[in-house]
Amino acid sequence: MTTRSISSSGLYRAIQSRRNRGLGGLYIVVVAFLLLYVWLFPGIVSIGGFSKFTQNWFPLALVTMAQALLMLNGGITLSVGPLVSLGAVIAATSMGGFAGTWGGIAAVAAIGLGIGAITGIIVAHLRLPAIIVTLAGSFIITGIALLILPRPGGFIPGWFSDLLAGNTPVAFCLLLVAIAGWKLFMATPAGLGMYAAGENPVGAFRSGVSVERVKVAAFAISGLLAALAGLFVAAQTGSGDPLIGNPFTLNSIAAAVLGGVGFLGGKGTMRGAICGSLLLSVMINVMFFLGFPPVAQYVAQGLIIVGAVAIPELTAQRRKK
Amino acid sequence: MNPVSTAVRGLFRSPPLLTFLLVALVWLVASLTLRGFGAYGHLRYLLELSAVIGIVAAGQTLVIIMGGIDLSVGAIITVTAILLPLISPAADPSGIVGIALALAIATGIGLLNGAGAAYLRVPPIIMTLAMATFLQGLLVMVAGGSAVSVTNASVIWLGQARPLGIPAGVILWIVVAISVLLILHRTPMGSRFLALGANPVAARLSGISITRNTLVLYALSGFFSGVAGILILGMNRQGYVGIGDPYLLTSIAAVVLGGTSILGGRGTYAGTIPGAILLVTTTALITIVNASPGWRSIMFGSLILALLLISGREARR
Repeated sequence: MTTRSISSSGLYRAIQSRRNRGLGGLYIVVVAFLLLYVWLFPGIVSIGGFSKFTQNWFPLALVTMAQALLMLNGGITLSVGPLVSLGAVIAATSMGGFAGTWGGIAAVAAIGLGIGAITGIIVAHLRLPAIIVTLAGSFIITGIALLILPRPGGFIPGWFSDLLAGNTPVAFCLLLVAIAGWKLFMATPAGLGMYAAGENPVGAFRSGVSVERVKVAAFAISGLLAALAGLFVAAQTGSGDPLIGNPFTLNSIAAAVLGGVGFLGGKGTMRGAICGSLLLSVMINVMFFLGFPPVAQYVAQGLIIVGAVAIPELTAQRRKK
Repeated sequence: MNPVSTAVRGLFRSPPLLTFLLVALVWLVASLTLRGFGAYGHLRYLLELSAVIGIVAAGQTLVIIMGGIDLSVGAIITVTAILLPLISPAADPSGIVGIALALAIATGIGLLNGAGAAYLRVPPIIMTLAMATFLQGLLVMVAGGSAVSVTNASVIWLGQARPLGIPAGVILWIVVAISVLLILHRTPMGSRFLALGANPVAARLSGISITRNTLVLYALSGFFSGVAGILILGMNRQGYVGIGDPYLLTSIAAVVLGGTSILGGRGTYAGTIPGAILLVTTTALITIVNASPGWRSIMFGSLILALLLISGREARR
């Protein structure tokens, strides 16, 4: 086995640098926007400012992870937004009642995992296209959220809101935990199998990956992340709202694609997706501080998303020639 | 193998026919059990609503067959419905000029989508999504968020008139359906669309221009969205921001319910037609059952899932 004797750490580094290469442009754009943001609003460098900034970013980062995970596996989900709403609604109704704070967290996590797993089973075992199953699922999940809490309300304990959305960078630390969790997961056969099944399902199957089980797991983890993002949003706003999550569906796809994750599976990296969500979040913040009317923000967002996707493509094409 | 079971099996292999039978079954059962459902006026109303979805889904079917998707149809409908009253020149009492201008704008937006997908290599899903976001912002700037009433005579005729007792919108839908079916199954252009969806590399190697066909397809999708926008404007007599939003997901659902593969390369508009009617009927039935918004949403989602199980399954690859 000569390949193994080349030393696996050298191979690891080579692969990692190849995966970073396409992201160079994205990193530069993100840093440029961050510098602009610091210049416009120096308050971000204090602990309080940094905490608030990361709290605005955190839920988008979580749903982007939920989306990118599925896209890497060759799927997609349109029910991210409704799942965020459902997570928020369950947190706001259960925490004040019988379950208590920890019971509420457990309930949100369990329901996110459960709904994700059911979606995954429908997609993998009944062989229905993910995009349309999650589209139908988004109606069902929105309906459940509306049944639980027809209009915004509910209760989140004050200390819990302060802990997650106060003047400490707890949200940022949780994001680091989530990223570390993803790194650990990628070190397991299941994590690699998820990537492999997205890149080449037949090849993965012949290498002993249970493609269907991996797909169900991907949907379950994705559901868990989206529901936890909802828990955080509920803590941030201090209440539950059955429609609060809707913008997250398209934003999660936009962030993942900005980060270079492809639609056909196996193409892209999680670090790229997280950078994409950071870029989107900073962009929205910068436009807000520049006093753009919300309308102009839409126009600029549309232009920037197309630009960010098109420019790396065009430069790659030119390099090829 | 007896002939009956072969026939039944052939039926299940043909999603368009299956969806048609499903519509017939639902209409029959609903007419027998629900008072007023089977009345001519009610069924005609359902067909009028289906016509709008059917026309939007015409462009969507073509785009999906080529392996793309158009998420900007809702925004294009809104653009047409809001701009048409503003750009109809007062000097033209028939209103044809206004319609032509509005359709040109809608087609132009579609062409831009195609240019982004073909020249800039932006994935269609993100190109059309960004276009929708962009248009949403632009519209609020132009229209200022208020509703605009239509006075254009042709548009109102289209939305309200019933020559021979058939709504003009339904007649328009029939015209659109026949032309799309002819384009898709009887012209070289339709074969090229199907070839590109089935295997883009093989299609390119056989000399099919991906760029040109992408441009044509997205322009067609923009055009049909514009037609639907004009029809909706005529039926509503008012255009406002958000008027086209409900048609985005329903157009995709109608295509998939009709048995067209979301992955491209396989499908026909003949399935989308009953798909659109089925969606409208489902929504109507859910409205009849007097339920809370939450239950209505759950029922709608579950029914789409159930219908998918019957007609939308992907073959094992």
